[in-house]
Amino acid sequence: MGLLRVNWRHIILHILLIMGGIITAFPFLWMIATSLKGPDEVFSLSFSILPRAWNFNNYPQVFEILPFGRFYLNTIIVTVARTIGQVLICAMAGYAFAKLRFPGKNFLFVAVLAIMMLPSQITLIPNYILLKYIHWIDTYQGLIIPSLFSAFGTFLLRQFFMTLPSEIDDAAKLDGCNPLQTFIHIALPLARPGLVAFAVLVVLWSWNDFLWPLIITNSTNMQMLSVGISYFQNPHVTNYALIMAAASLTILPIMIIFIISQRLIIEGITMTGLKM
Amino acid sequence: MPFLPKSKMARQEALWGYALASPLLIGCAVFFYLGMVASFILGFTQWDVLTPPTWYGLGNYFYLFKDHVFRMALWNTTRYALLQVPLSLTIALALALALNQNIRFRNLYRLIYFLPALTMPVAISFVWKWIYAPGYGILNQLLSSLGLPNVRWLDDPHVAMYSIIIMGVWMSIGYAMIIFIAGLQNIPRIYYEAAIVDGANDWQKLSHITVPLLTPTILFNLITSVISSFQMFDFIYVMTSGGPSNSTRTVVYSLWEEGFRFFRMGRATAMGWILFMIILFLTIFQLRTQKRWVYYE
Repeated sequence: MGLLRVNWRHIILHILLIMGGIITAFPFLWMIATSLKGPDEVFSLSFSILPRAWNFNNYPQVFEILPFGRFYLNTIIVTVARTIGQVLICAMAGYAFAKLRFPGKNFLFVAVLAIMMLPSQITLIPNYILLKYIHWIDTYQGLIIPSLFSAFGTFLLRQFFMTLPSEIDDAAKLDGCNPLQTFIHIALPLARPGLVAFAVLVVLWSWNDFLWPLIITNSTNMQMLSVGISYFQNPHVTNYALIMAAASLTILPIMIIFIISQRLIIEGITMTGLKM
Repeated sequence: MPFLPKSKMARQEALWGYALASPLLIGCAVFFYLGMVASFILGFTQWDVLTPPTWYGLGNYFYLFKDHVFRMALWNTTRYALLQVPLSLTIALALALALNQNIRFRNLYRLIYFLPALTMPVAISFVWKWIYAPGYGILNQLLSSLGLPNVRWLDDPHVAMYSIIIMGVWMSIGYAMIIFIAGLQNIPRIYYEAAIVDGANDWQKLSHITVPLLTPTILFNLITSVISSFQMFDFIYVMTSGGPSNSTRTVVYSLWEEGFRFFRMGRATAMGWILFMIILFLTIFQLRTQKRWVYYE
């Protein structure tokens, strides 16, 4: 008679979880609902959650007011470049620190780890000035290159390479592989879950990054989405239907990517919590 | 190169080690270590980028410790961390405990509670600004329909920081929850089986097994949340610009304003060092206390 027995504890739990879930999801629903309203409905005191007259014009209008297409392109270029670069650089260094013997290794590894304690704001101004001297302000290399070096990623991937049994390396060595060949043909494929999980995190951070692109770009054509949308931070723009359309355009792509690759992101974050 | 090992194999391995690590090492040297030295020196100067810097000794630090606006920024940042971190970690832990059980729709709940952690802070700040908007914002419309007076969520200096904290809690629950769930799944089942044999009830299992064995995860979440709450910037930039009357100004907002609006690079880097010292102190402090409350198996 298991089906008929009511589990009151679970029912109360579900009620609480549903209420909390509604509160959690509400800002997103409200964002999408507002983005589909007309300007007069937004500023009406007899509000309704769903739009009374569906208005899809806000979305094309965002692209008319600001070069949002260009913002997308910039964000995608920067995110792809940072992700590939960061994963590669951290994997190479992580492998060297995990598997290869070289003089000074421990000292260098500690020097890299110490960076994790450093808040990025402390190097913000010197890096800005450095980039100004080498004329990298307002360029893709300025957006990409200073963000390629992650102490956190190196540590994470080193931990991952450490778990690979050293017999594999020894076997590769006997077969005449040099360390680079072992890294490329054996270690990288075996570490794929770790690399993918880290890559997903880098995509997320890079897509949402704000302070660095804010200071390193000037011209509208070089903005990423995060800085582009902040143009709406202007007391003269009060059309919230339009702003919500712009917010949806920046938030929804990453959300869709997440829902597709949910398992990977969760794995990535879980790994960071367990390997530290 | 005399410091390299003698055998050919070992020497080759060492050279490859340097080669593979060098892109990272060079990048770290330039963008972190060089930057750190430069910012340390810049902190003792006055510099507007256009004219050569002038030596100012400890002037920036003396100025900042006396400046009541910067002291307010320090206090606001602390206030934000003191409320946001415990609130979001408590809720995240409760959710993790609930969603670690075998209940229906578990994955759907986890997904929904995790979504805020994914969103771009700048974009979602606009959404919250709209929720909090005076008059037409949904919160005030709800209050009006209940016959209650409106609240100036972001315009009242006594309220604004709490409105930001609510949003900060909403945003940081998901990430901590996922880490807590991972920590819970790492607790070996055998402890619970032993507890059931001993006749322990649910509360005893929670307080004698789950929480103690979860303390390393709690410590991890605590340290990372404190660090990120002290670096809060994006919400403030979009929602309040530090106002009203500096009631939501944070350290990083001040740093950005000094550096990139007023071009006082010396003062801005000095702020960066003060922030670093605070974060370093808090992290070391939390690590030191772990002997008293963190259990390792």
